[in-house]
Amino acid sequence: MMDDQIKAVAGAPISDPGGPRGPKPRRALSRRNIILYGTLFVAAVYYLLPLYVMVVTSLKGMPEIRLGHIFAPPMEITFEPWVKAWGKACTGLNCDGLSRGFWNSVRITIPSVLLSIAVASVNGYALANWRFKGAEIFFTILIVGAFIPYQVMLYPIVIILREIGIYGTLTGLVLVHCIFGMPILTLLFRNYFASLPDELFRAARVDGAGFWGIYLRIMLPMSLPIFVVAVIIQTTGIWNDFLFGVVYTRPDTYPMTVQLNNIVNAVQGVKEYNVNMAATLITGLVPLIVYFVSGKLFVRGIAAGAVKG
Amino acid sequence: MTSEVSAKTSVSVQDLSLNFGMVSVLKSLNLDIAEGEFVVLLGPSGCGKSTLLNCIAGLLDISDGRIFIKGRNVTWEEPANRGIGMVFQSYALYPQMTVEKNLSFGLRVAGVPKDEIARRIARAAEILQIEPLLQRKPAALSGGQRQRVAIGRALVRDVDVFLFDEPLSNLDAKLRSELRVEIKLLHRRLKNTMIYVTHDQIEAMTLADRIAVMRGGEIQQFDAPSAIYNRPVNRFVAGFLGSPGMNFLEGRIENDQGGWRFAVDGISIPLATYAFERQPEPGPATFGVRPEHVALNSGEDWPFSMTATVEVVEPMGSDTLVWLLVAGQKFSVRVSAERAPAAGDTVSIGFDPMRASLFDGKTDRRI
Amino acid sequence: MRSKSERPNPLFRNLNAKIASIPMVLTALVVFVGGTAWTMLYSFTNSKLLPRLKFVGLDQYERLWSTPRWLVSIENLFIYGILSLIFSLVIGFLLAAMLDQKIRFENAFRTIFLYPFALSFIVTGLVWQWLLNPDFGVQHVVRSLGWESFTFNPLYDRQIVIYGVLIAALWQGTGLVMCLMLAGLRSIDEDIWKAARVDGIPTWRTYLFIIIPMMRAVFVTTLVIIASSIVRVYDLVVAQTSGGPGIASEVPAKYVYDYMFLGQNLGQGFAASTMMLLSVVIVIVPWAYLEFGRRRR
Repeated sequence: MMDDQIKAVAGAPISDPGGPRGPKPRRALSRRNIILYGTLFVAAVYYLLPLYVMVVTSLKGMPEIRLGHIFAPPMEITFEPWVKAWGKACTGLNCDGLSRGFWNSVRITIPSVLLSIAVASVNGYALANWRFKGAEIFFTILIVGAFIPYQVMLYPIVIILREIGIYGTLTGLVLVHCIFGMPILTLLFRNYFASLPDELFRAARVDGAGFWGIYLRIMLPMSLPIFVVAVIIQTTGIWNDFLFGVVYTRPDTYPMTVQLNNIVNAVQGVKEYNVNMAATLITGLVPLIVYFVSGKLFVRGIAAGAVKG
Repeated sequence: MTSEVSAKTSVSVQDLSLNFGMVSVLKSLNLDIAEGEFVVLLGPSGCGKSTLLNCIAGLLDISDGRIFIKGRNVTWEEPANRGIGMVFQSYALYPQMTVEKNLSFGLRVAGVPKDEIARRIARAAEILQIEPLLQRKPAALSGGQRQRVAIGRALVRDVDVFLFDEPLSNLDAKLRSELRVEIKLLHRRLKNTMIYVTHDQIEAMTLADRIAVMRGGEIQQFDAPSAIYNRPVNRFVAGFLGSPGMNFLEGRIENDQGGWRFAVDGISIPLATYAFERQPEPGPATFGVRPEHVALNSGEDWPFSMTATVEVVEPMGSDTLVWLLVAGQKFSVRVSAERAPAAGDTVSIGFDPMRASLFDGKTDRRI
Repeated sequence: MRSKSERPNPLFRNLNAKIASIPMVLTALVVFVGGTAWTMLYSFTNSKLLPRLKFVGLDQYERLWSTPRWLVSIENLFIYGILSLIFSLVIGFLLAAMLDQKIRFENAFRTIFLYPFALSFIVTGLVWQWLLNPDFGVQHVVRSLGWESFTFNPLYDRQIVIYGVLIAALWQGTGLVMCLMLAGLRSIDEDIWKAARVDGIPTWRTYLFIIIPMMRAVFVTTLVIIASSIVRVYDLVVAQTSGGPGIASEVPAKYVYDYMFLGQNLGQGFAASTMMLLSVVIVIVPWAYLEFGRRRR
């Protein structure tokens, strides 16, 4: 009976007719998997915890917070901290909440993003396709300049803005963001345009198109992805900025981050932790939404921005 | 009988199947490779040859079936425990280590004593002539040198079976033919079992003791090169090997009073000299004959001959390829350059069906 | 026949491109070169509320280096910088290596590790300030679980406050390092892994002796990025500790701002920011020489 079985599997060198066969048995709970997924899970908790605490704290009333269970979900959910943070929280000078800072930030971010991208994209295009004498030198200075700590250039810019008369205004801050956004954005666009096939450009020149014509009709339509990446980088960076906000604005033009800091840190007396957390969460919401919506593009933006030269 | 087989069989694959999700990549393959044999896995892209090699190596987990190496069931073993050495298409040398460290790293990790490591490296270096390269890093080597070091890394493992995954595909044509000869000499010297994957039929024909032609995850034919070349088991194998390719005529086989004949469009080829695999039946069929088995204007007597007009003449150096129309279908004949006709000439062609192949019109299998 | 005077002036070639590049040229020259030079120049003056061109030699620098607050700032930057660098690279690489293992939910994990990077440093600082609050935060929770004597109060303990800042910074920044490392890992030829497996080299040794040496360029790039952001640390400290308790968590960037805009002592601010520039130069110049100098050879 055994011989028949053996003969049926023709030509097989028999060591063990019932031996290992097919896929290697893998226990789902193998040691490797436990360590791997376990560590990742613990890490995920460390990263998610602050967000969770922020949300949870901002939905509690002060009496509940004083009970001290920071990690416990709210027993009674209240949106009052949110309302207060938005409209009634006090900074040192006035008590109309974060809403002022929010709209300031919006009025700062949108023009800054648009202007800095417009300028940098044209610059990058000029560098990539229309090399002229001295271009590389200025570009190198720009890139080297990106490493210089902002502190060194803070005061000279104050002087410049004062001379032009826009120190303390939103316009001034927009200009500052454009200036400091230039190195990384120009690099981004230059690399992108340089990677487009040369033949397109040459064919357009043969057709007689000029600098602006090629830019508007050929380069722009092909560049949607990189523009999206640039928008993501700039929106996140400008919205989250604090240093330029605190140096170049006055109290009525404070962006959201500066106002947030004032609300939480500059207030004497009883600390309303729930309002603080609500305010913090609101400030972080805009870039978080950009992050979650943009997904893979955000990662591409980091990679592109991080690759300096 | 079984024990005889087990002593001589080096690698044995039984009912091996591999599925990626719903897609069946390897379909219940069976393969027995004798000790010291040089087997080539040949086929077009995507046929599964590399996948099969990776399964034998243990780099891929199989869905069903078993793998034996030197009589031992290695189906669940890690690659390092299978007694194999492997050479990759991209060489895969560790870039930050010298050649010597590349060769010795695996041995050091395995705890092989230092003098044994030195002995093995010296032997491999001598066989592959890489002694002067031992202290260089891979970046300082040429493509051919890198490939030799990659072979050396498999050599020092002191194993019985060598696996090659398209090792010459990254090299230019001249280097490829040089290294091809070296690999053949290496096999003759070492006498190890070697399994070699390639899509290049010249490599397959020159290097192999036996070729396994693969397509769509299945082995079409596993035979000596001459058998595959002269008696292909189906139409795919017939068309895959040989350059320029075999001529195919679509027609029917019939049996009239004179015996079996192949008929197409007014031409009737007698099949008396053809060696049938099995009992033929009348029906649609494909007739195949290689360009080099057809004589042009030879003046001799052939079992089948006819006249035709030359359409195109392609000089290829030592030979010329002459294109004609036979029964309304394109037909090529290979002649030596001196005897080449001109386009428009009327020539006589002849061949012996003994050299030809007949394939069933529906199943494409050899009749 | 064209005469020499009719040849177009090279200055007007590519005129449009040149006009379009004016913003870049202006920025590079006026702001970066000019601004830096101006600040460095005025660091040798005794400007107080307004810049004054009265040279006093190295006075400002002497004062700087004898101010305890500055010395604490430098010391903090060192500790914070070195630890930040080491832990970012190690944690970032480990996370990337784990994500590279063909695991399920890879996208989910990556989203979780990276989202803090999208937040402002102010947000980060404030939320960790709350988490490390001694009365309600981590210390309180651990104590209420039974460990009565557990003490972890970075915000009020001079010795360890900088570590509290470090934890917050790592929380925000390791996601970026992980992304860069992951990109580097993914660019490694798969055949190298196969060869190592056939050679019988265990996974950890493959990482340590083969893969990481192959990723030298990625490590260097990441290092430069981390280093340049370390020197600038400001928002985080302002939000989380306001430099306190006392001056225990002061950092150079905060020193510059406080003296320049709050302390009416521009000269000190200029001197301090020039020192910051110097520290960056010390790191960047050798790196640039190694990277680009070698290429030209």
